[in-house]
Formats: sequence, structure tokens, C-alpha cells
Amino acid sequence: MDKKTAEEKMSQLEWYITKHCLWQYNSRGWDREIQNERILTKTRQLLCGENALEDNNYADRYYWSEAATLVEAFKRYFPWLEKTSKEEITEIMNLLKEKMDYTMIKGSLNSELIKPQY
Amino acid sequence: MPYHQFKCSECIPERLHHAVDKGEGEQLTDALPLGYLNTIPGTISERGCAYCGAKHVIGTPMKDVIHISHGPVGCTYDTWQTKRYISDDGNFQLKYTFASDMKESHVVFGAEKMLKKNMIEAFKAFPHIKRMTIYQTCASALIGDDINAIADEVMEEMPGVKVFVCNSPGFAGPSQSGGHHKINLAWLSQMVGTVEPEIYSKYVVNYVGEYNIQGDQEIMKDYLHRMGIQILSTFTGNSRFDDLRGMHRAHLNVLECARSAEYICDELRVRYGIPRMDIDGFGFEALSDSLLKIGYFFGIEDKAREIIAEEIARWKPELDWYAARLKGIKVCLWPGGSKLWHWAHSIHKEMGVEVVSVYTKFGHQGDMEKGISRCEPGALAIDDPNELEGLEAMYELKPDVIFTGKRPGEVAKKIRVPYLNAHGYHNGPYKGFEGWVRFARDIYNAVYSPIHKLSFLDISKDEIPTDKGFETQQTYSDARLSDEVRNSTELRQCTSKYDPVPGLRAKEDSYLFPDPETGELRKVPVEKLRKNKVVEIE
Repeated sequence: MDKKTAEEKMSQLEWYITKHCLWQYNSRGWDREIQNERILTKTRQLLCGENALEDNNYADRYYWSEAATLVEAFKRYFPWLEKTSKEEITEIMNLLKEKMDYTMIKGSLNSELIKPQY
Repeated sequence: MPYHQFKCSECIPERLHHAVDKGEGEQLTDALPLGYLNTIPGTISERGCAYCGAKHVIGTPMKDVIHISHGPVGCTYDTWQTKRYISDDGNFQLKYTFASDMKESHVVFGAEKMLKKNMIEAFKAFPHIKRMTIYQTCASALIGDDINAIADEVMEEMPGVKVFVCNSPGFAGPSQSGGHHKINLAWLSQMVGTVEPEIYSKYVVNYVGEYNIQGDQEIMKDYLHRMGIQILSTFTGNSRFDDLRGMHRAHLNVLECARSAEYICDELRVRYGIPRMDIDGFGFEALSDSLLKIGYFFGIEDKAREIIAEEIARWKPELDWYAARLKGIKVCLWPGGSKLWHWAHSIHKEMGVEVVSVYTKFGHQGDMEKGISRCEPGALAIDDPNELEGLEAMYELKPDVIFTGKRPGEVAKKIRVPYLNAHGYHNGPYKGFEGWVRFARDIYNAVYSPIHKLSFLDISKDEIPTDKGFETQQTYSDARLSDEVRNSTELRQCTSKYDPVPGLRAKEDSYLFPDPETGELRKVPVEKLRKNKVVEIE
């Protein structure tokens, strides 16, 4: 998959997340970093058919349940995912993580993100 | 996204960065309205105060509590019979409101003695109520009354009563949002962890940021109970004081209005390791995804799927009846805080309406991020507009209806734009699958009501048509429909009862909960569902 195609497909996934998912909007930057990292990693693992549950504590189970729901929606909205190889999914998801970290954290204009306390 | 310059606010340059036009292909990183800032001198804000946010939004939906304001009597008025935060045990919280009734002499000489006397008097007047919340106001904060000390004295003198003190005077923040923050953290610090609740299910949640507006909590509770989930507490609609003291024992915090209640979820996550899961109770797709992910969390996703399928089969033909008639309707989505993002994408996708503007009175920039992401390009996003900006936007955008509070709603009516009450609702509940159809019906009735056409006639000068007979909403709405849609036997109008809440309450003895130890399904007595047992921690 060339980079342009990967970016186009990444944009479709990003569109879905920004429109439908609330987990990306936690009010602090450090919190958003954790949310993006944990949920998008598990989403990639599930899309690649890997085990995404680490230790089954409440926190891990939460990230997993967000990812599992997201994967169902992705498959419903984007049938091309079924025909995409694990390597290509990994490439797309890495781009997605990079984009979301920029939009929601590094490039965000939300001045509350840098407040240390809730 | 360019900032939007209101003509009426050219004389207030600071306002420029509080409104943006969402352009095609533009990102949140291009422009974002400022938010949660002090009201700019020269602009008349429509916000509430921090006392209002603490008491009227979050405190008073608690149902078995004497809610007393320590201040002038005027501060407390708004709760008395004017809110729609109903409860399932007689609406004590709506019928009664209390104030210590501070006067000038108290400001000069102190009001602590008077507060104590009034607290005791209130407990004696309502001997079946053993819980109290006291809300500091501007007046009592400025004179420095030690409300906590008085509360301790009363608790010592009246064994069995519990008192919670909320120090959130009106000036403690730019808007009501400051009060939400203060009462969240005060409740967590003073009250959570002071009782041990009885756990009767394997699956236990707190339902947070939900205020039971016209029965919202009860319609959502039905779904969670059908999944076998114990709702340990609801923060705070239709909830008991003591249930909220046991929040620390939940496995998951299910968060609805993040604007008013994310703080307690975030702190419960830090202090007790309980995850925060943000959900949408509005919209068929968003609600389905929300129930599904709660199901995944507990490993009962198949049960969630069953409920989703059942509810959609029941209500989708009714939603679609309205969607066919609402397609292309222009809406200004102007609520207080969270509904701009709860509703923006769902009303567009599922009802076909065009959201031409979103605004928030007391939201933060995070709420604007959500709202702008969820509405379509072309929408105007405004933070904390003043009345003139609201009027200018309506003249420019020409919405068919606006969803807002009653104060800006009345302004809209003056220029003949119908409005729906986005805070207290018109004919709620609006949550849940059934509620979403009720919302669609209210939008339909607001937009197509024949009264609006009549209201454009000025009887002092216009000719009154005498060649037309009786007209209904459907006369207008169906004129543009194809025969196929107009005559569909699949689609139908809303069949929800006038008040669906009694029906929900009547179902309470039908739920099965899995035993926490054995997993065996069993019924839980209705009395326990309504009043769970708690044990005081000494």
C-alpha cells in the first residue's frame, strides 16, 4: 500500500472517531495521550486478530471494551478492512495514532489540556 | 476555520475569538473558540452562577434531601417547582426548597446562629428526611460564616442526620460550570467512602452526569437493569444521598454529561481505580454503541445486542416517520453545555436535520472540540453568546427551530422562531430509543405547528385569509413527500404514552441480576432496587 492510499484510509478511520467517539476528548493532555495509546493499540491488535486483553483488571478491560466496540463499527463502516493485510492495518493505525496525537494533543488549541489537575 | 465577526460585537473586540465558522476540510487545530472565561465587560452573558451550577444542576436532583441555601431567599427560588428533575418517590426535591433567609442584620452580625436554628427547624418539619445539603451563597461566603462547623454541631445534636456542605458561592467561577467542579470534588472528598453499600449483582456501575430530566434516568436504568447491571448510584438524578456515598464500590463509572460531572469520574479513577466510560444516551446508533461497550466491559455484549435489536425493531419505524418529514430542517443547537455534542451528529444522521449553528453558554473548549467535530461544515460555533449575537445569528441563518433554554427561547419566539427546551424538555424523556422518538415528535410539532403561520399575520394590518379550512402539522409536512413515503404502512407516528415513566416503574420487579458470588440469576426486591442497604463506616 502506498503512503497516499494509507493516508486516505487513515482519514476515513479518523473521521469515524472524531464524529462518534467520546474517549478522545478527556480534558487533560496527559490523559488524552493514555487514551489514544491504549485504545488505538488495542484496536490495532483486534483488527490484526491478536489478543488485546492484558491483565483483565478494570482499567484494561475498559480500554479493551472501547476498542472492541470501535472495531465493530470500523468493520461496519469500512468493509475494505476485511481485505487489508495485518501489515497494512498496522501502517494505517500508526498513521492514525500520529494524527490523533497531533490533532487532539500536540496541535490542539484547547488551553485546558496543560492544566496539571482535574 | 475563520473566526466569526458579529456586527453587533464589533465594539467588543475580545468577542471575536469566541465564535468560528466551521469550513470544509478544516481542522480543530485551525481555530477553536475560547471558552470558560470570565464574561467580557460590555457583553451581557446569559450564564448562571457557580452557586446555581452546584445547587440547581447537581445538588438538588438528589431526592431524599433537604436542600437549604444559606443566603437570601431569592437565591433558592429557581428550584421550587420549576425544574423537571423528577424522582420515583414523590418529588420531595421539587416540592420543597429551603433558605436560611439572610437579611442585612445577618450580614452585619453573622448568620451562623440563624442557620443552625433553621436547619433544626427544617429537620423537625420533615421528620422522615434525615439528610441535608447546605449551599453557601455570595452573602454567606463574604461574611465568612463557618457552615461546616454549624453542620457538625447539628449532626452532634441530632443523631442520625447527615449534612453535606457545598462551598460554592456565585462568584466562584466564570459560570455555573465552576459550581459543577466544586460540588463534584466536595462530594468526593466529604461523602464518598463513608458507607459500604450492599452489592447484589456481578456487574456494578455508577451512572454519572445524569439528572433524570422528565425520566431520562429511568428509561436508561431500564436498559441497564435488563442487562443485569446494578446501578449503585446515579450522580445525581433520582438518587439517594446515601447511595452516592457508596460510589467507591462500583466497577465502572458510566458518564453521560461530562461537562458537569467528569471531575468526580476522573477523581474516582485516580483514587479508587474505577474506569470512566463516556456514553451517549441520545440517538439510536450512539446509544446502541454505548450499551454495547458497557456490555463488552462486563462480558455481556450479547445481552446488550438483544436489547438493542428489540428496541430498534420497536421504535425505528416511528423515528423514520418523523425523519422523512424533518429532512432539511435547519436547526440552531444552542444548549447549555453537553447537548451540543450529544445531539449534533445524531439529529443530522437519524432525523436529517441540518445543524446550522452550535453554541454553549458554559461549556469549555473541550465541549467545543466535540461539538465542532460532530456538526457538519458550514455551522457557526459560538461560545457564550450575548442576546444580540443570538439574534444576529438567527436573522442570518434563518433556522426553522432552535433547541435552547427558556430564556433565549423566549427571545427566539419574539422573532417568530420556534424553540424546543433543550434543558427541561417539552415532552420528555428524550433519552433512550423511545425518548429519541419523543424528541423527534417534539421537533416535528415545533416546526410544523400551524400556530407559527398564524403568528406571522398582523391582525392590525394584514388580510386574514378566509378561504382556508382547518390545517394541521401534517398538512404542511406531507406536502413535499412522495406518495410512497406519505402512504407507507411501515412508518408510523409516535405511539409512546403521554407519560412513559409509570410504565417503567411498573417493570421493576421483572429484572434478574446475577449473584456476585455464584452468578445465579435472581430477582431483587423492588424495595432494595429503590433503597439499597448501606452500612455506615465509623
